Amino acid sequence: MRKSLLILALGAGIAAQAQELCGTIAERCEKHITTQYIPDGQFYRALLQGDEQAEFNLTLFGGTTYRVAACSGETDGALVFNVLDKDNNVLFSNKEQGNAPYWDLAVANTIDVRIEAGLDPSKSGSGCAVMLVGFKK
Amino acid sequence: MRLEPTSVAARTFDTRITNLYRASMSAPTSSTIALGLSLGLLMVACGGPETTTGTTGADTLAVDTTPKETELLNVGGKLFSIPSPVQTALAMRKAGLKYQKDLTTPLDKGESVVGKIGQSAVLGMYGADMAYVTVHKDGQRAMATMQAIEKLGGKLELTNSFDRSLLDRFKDNLGSEDSLLQFSGTAFRAADQYLKDNKRDDVSALVLAGGWVESLYLTVSDPAAAKDQAMVNRIGEQKNSLNALVSLLEASDKEKGATALITAMKELQALFAGVTNTYTFQEPVTDAAKKTTFINSTSSVTIPADQLAAIMAKVTAIRNLMLA
Repeated sequence: MRKSLLILALGAGIAAQAQELCGTIAERCEKHITTQYIPDGQFYRALLQGDEQAEFNLTLFGGTTYRVAACSGETDGALVFNVLDKDNNVLFSNKEQGNAPYWDLAVANTIDVRIEAGLDPSKSGSGCAVMLVGFKK
Repeated sequence: MRLEPTSVAARTFDTRITNLYRASMSAPTSSTIALGLSLGLLMVACGGPETTTGTTGADTLAVDTTPKETELLNVGGKLFSIPSPVQTALAMRKAGLKYQKDLTTPLDKGESVVGKIGQSAVLGMYGADMAYVTVHKDGQRAMATMQAIEKLGGKLELTNSFDRSLLDRFKDNLGSEDSLLQFSGTAFRAADQYLKDNKRDDVSALVLAGGWVESLYLTVSDPAAAKDQAMVNRIGEQKNSLNALVSLLEASDKEKGATALITAMKELQALFAGVTNTYTFQEPVTDAAKKTTFINSTSSVTIPADQLAAIMAKVTAIRNLMLA
């Protein structure tokens, strides 16, 4: 009985901490979607370890500028992300921009893209990856 | 919480997460994380005489410390984005489609709708209506819609996202379209985060489905949309979003309560199969100083007229199903 209570207490405490992990990162990431951008109303996250990559699928509409913010760890720049088209052409990689935590994509014509996000191994071995998307009117 | 790699708990945590992603499309949940962690901690805490229990736990969790090949979290880890209803509303305004307030979901529907599925879908529909009335500068209706959202959000235990303070901010900014769209987008994102945190991916998917269907319904309900090439393209460009929605609904409908809706969405999917998309890659241009990449690839959409008519009819039918 005492052991069960211990498990429950541990579980409850750790659940709150785990939720906080992604929550804290999300709070930091939200700051990159500045007031010029309208949030898309969705929250994307993945828990990664090592060289795992999360995959985000988006349709980007033509004539729109999107802001993609990608965060992990305790500071910006811990997440590497690539934007690819359906033929796997790399449209953008934040690795070439010093692991920039956000970037704008000005889209001329509607395109379906895939964003692959993984942890920068030099900064983090595992953690929560958060991606947020906003767009300009 | 720190994910320090020095403890057994940390390895167990990671392994649980990896397995979770392979097993389910739903977002990672804190309770699963907690289970992994608490079992891990238990193994550490219950050393000595309890080692057998701990060891058994470790075996059951199959902690894998061998290096993995680079892998994408396919299927289980794939995340889908559904276009914001705001974008569709803006496209409708740009195309000059007539504002028809009566097309929006009745505001008393939120009071009468029962059950998680209906309530979730109607919440999403209200979100799309909110975008629609806001971009058409109908502040009064926007306020009334936000009040309906707040009430329905309460029924779905989303008062942390849709609360009195949001209503107050809304009221204070009724003249600012940008602010209203910001507040609305931020509130729905917070709700989505809360739902995913609390293993309510089914509600999250249904809210998205309701918003998506309502947006499309508002679009196709104006006969002028079928004559406007930009709007026809916008309808056709929803093909991938529909595929994503069906995947989300199927993966999250563990209680099998949304079977009728999923079936109807799949029928719509079949109609969208007749939509042809072409794509030609063009080299993007990056302006590092502006932190902007210009994506110049070209694309086009073709929808045969009869297919468009069938899509329009089906969207209306699905919307009626959601409101039934």
